[in-house]
Amino acid sequence: MKPNPYGALKKTILTCMILVPFIPFILVLGIGYYYFTISLETSTIFAMKRIVEDHRQMIESFLRERTADLNYILNSESFDYLGQAENLRNVFEHLRKVSNAFVDLGIFNENGLHVAYIGPFQLSGRNYQNTSWFREVMKEGYYISDVFLGYRQIPHFIIAIAKSDTEQRWVIRATIDTQIFNELVEGVSIGKTGEAYLLDAGGVFQTERRSGGSLTQKDPDYRKYGPAHDGIKTFLGTDTKGEQYLYATTWLKDKSWLLVVRQKKADAFKSLQKASYLIVLISLAGGAVIIGVAFYLTGRIIWRMERMDAEKNQLGEQLIHAGRLAEIGEMAAGFAHEINNPLQIMKSEHTLISMILADLKAKGELIESEDVADLEDSVSQIKHQVDRCAEITQAILKFGRKSEPVPEDVVLCTFIPEIIGMVAKKASVHGIGVKQNISDSLPPIHGDPSQLQQVMINLLNNAIDAIVARHGFSGGELIVEALPSENNHVDIRISDNGIGIRSENLPKVFTPFFTTKPLGKGTGLGLSVCFGIIHKIGGEMSVDSQENVGTTFTIRIPTAV
Amino acid sequence: MEKMKIMLVDDEERFLSTTKKLLIKKGYETLTAASGAEALEILKQRNIHIVILDVKMPGMDGIATLKEIKKQFPLVEVIMLTGHATVESAIEGLKSGATDYLMKPTEVDDLLQKAEEAFEKRQRLEEKIRLAQGRKFMKSPREIIRDQSTS
Repeated sequence: MKPNPYGALKKTILTCMILVPFIPFILVLGIGYYYFTISLETSTIFAMKRIVEDHRQMIESFLRERTADLNYILNSESFDYLGQAENLRNVFEHLRKVSNAFVDLGIFNENGLHVAYIGPFQLSGRNYQNTSWFREVMKEGYYISDVFLGYRQIPHFIIAIAKSDTEQRWVIRATIDTQIFNELVEGVSIGKTGEAYLLDAGGVFQTERRSGGSLTQKDPDYRKYGPAHDGIKTFLGTDTKGEQYLYATTWLKDKSWLLVVRQKKADAFKSLQKASYLIVLISLAGGAVIIGVAFYLTGRIIWRMERMDAEKNQLGEQLIHAGRLAEIGEMAAGFAHEINNPLQIMKSEHTLISMILADLKAKGELIESEDVADLEDSVSQIKHQVDRCAEITQAILKFGRKSEPVPEDVVLCTFIPEIIGMVAKKASVHGIGVKQNISDSLPPIHGDPSQLQQVMINLLNNAIDAIVARHGFSGGELIVEALPSENNHVDIRISDNGIGIRSENLPKVFTPFFTTKPLGKGTGLGLSVCFGIIHKIGGEMSVDSQENVGTTFTIRIPTAV
Repeated sequence: MEKMKIMLVDDEERFLSTTKKLLIKKGYETLTAASGAEALEILKQRNIHIVILDVKMPGMDGIATLKEIKKQFPLVEVIMLTGHATVESAIEGLKSGATDYLMKPTEVDDLLQKAEEAFEKRQRLEEKIRLAQGRKFMKSPREIIRDQSTS
């Protein structure tokens, strides 16, 4: 096997056909993914920020409202009035109607004594003078505690407000239900894993965290949230469990509590993940399609090129063959023409010699002898050989003649029988039966009738010679057929049951000067002349033969249009 | 009866000399010319009946010579001798006024046969001319006298 001459070309085409669509394809997908990611991140972070902002405002307004509730009581009632447990209960019940986040309500005098208390515990009479919250409220006039356990051992936080009357400074304090506050803070819904919680300045949970982390515990990831800052901070971080979260944090205004809203990264960017999967899928499918199409098209192109190449080669061979024939013909014709002149002289000389010999004999100057007989024989032999040369040159000149055929429409069903008629006598003399099978409905063909006749007679004579060589004078069979063929062609077949052609000679039968006949019996030009004629009128000539079985010559000629 | 005068025109010297010998032996008056120009020159001086003219010659070739002969000496019969087997050159010759053609190599006997035929043709033609002139004479003797004086 010779290497495929298109190997390199195939590789190039394949590479181009894969890379050229693939690069823009991947670029489009990549750019799309990039901008989608950016836009998604921006919008997610923006949404997160808004949620944090809204949430902060809600929490702040809750705290503000509760403070305002207490302020209202403080300003509308006097210390003496509220110091009565009965009055305080009334006020508390009103307060509960406004917000059920209030768990209890207490009044303190300036010494920290719990003057009156309404709530689930028995706290009245206790002294809070030394507690930090009391000192703070006395100083600042206002206090919101972190969540703590206190005496009750239950997480809670308090809001306390101090007021200075003419007689004294007193304090009103309310406990806020952490449950309700929790729900308020937690009540944020973003995705599946979104959650919100509050931390105090030390990183202790002020509300419960859905994903774990209860009140008064310290958030292990607290350090990540960084120092106190203004506005909203967003960032990506990994918590101690190794989960990636998108965080948004902000500090409350009135209280040093940090509001944290976070969502698992995977959840926040879920659509991004979906898009990634889709992009990978499209890349794979598209890539497969591109590669498949590239392979298919390359295969087709190479196949077509190979076929065209084969056709070109075949055509080239035919051209070379035809060209060589023409060249040989031209050369041989020139050669034969030149030979004819000396032949003419030889012939004249011979005639002169014989004439002189005859004269001498007539005059009696030449006595009959063996030598004279030899001389006469020799002279006649010269004539014979000159005639032989002349025959060869005639054949060559016929072969090499440059005249263009004069094509006309030939009706085969009358033309072929006429030609067979010309050789019929010769055939019957040799005991050859000639069969004809010529369809009446054959379309006329286009060719030079005299040339076609030359071809047919040549082939018929060859067939007769072949039959005689095998069968002698009986048992010969010659079949002439003319049948329509494909693509507006007609096949003329001349078959004989003669000696056939040896397989090694079969490819050479159309070659000029190739002959198997004994010396002097054939010029070896007949079939090549036939071949040239048929070729010129756009036909083909082929041979099929088996030694000692027979030979079939097929001429395929285009029909007249 | 007039004897046939033949002129051979060919560039092959030996062909000319041998064939001349042969024709003379056979009793024909024979002249030779080695080229078309020479042939025309001889025709001017001698009364030649038949010219055997080779188609292929250096210088003035057969066809050109033939045309010139037919122009100057329309009564001279020309037989073309072609070395080419194709009839095309012969046909061209015949169209240009040649009487017949021969293929090289040709037998002297064939050549003579064609020459005789051509000579007969020529003689018939001359006969006709004579007859025509005779009729003219019968019709108007004065005219003939005038014709003869002007020509």
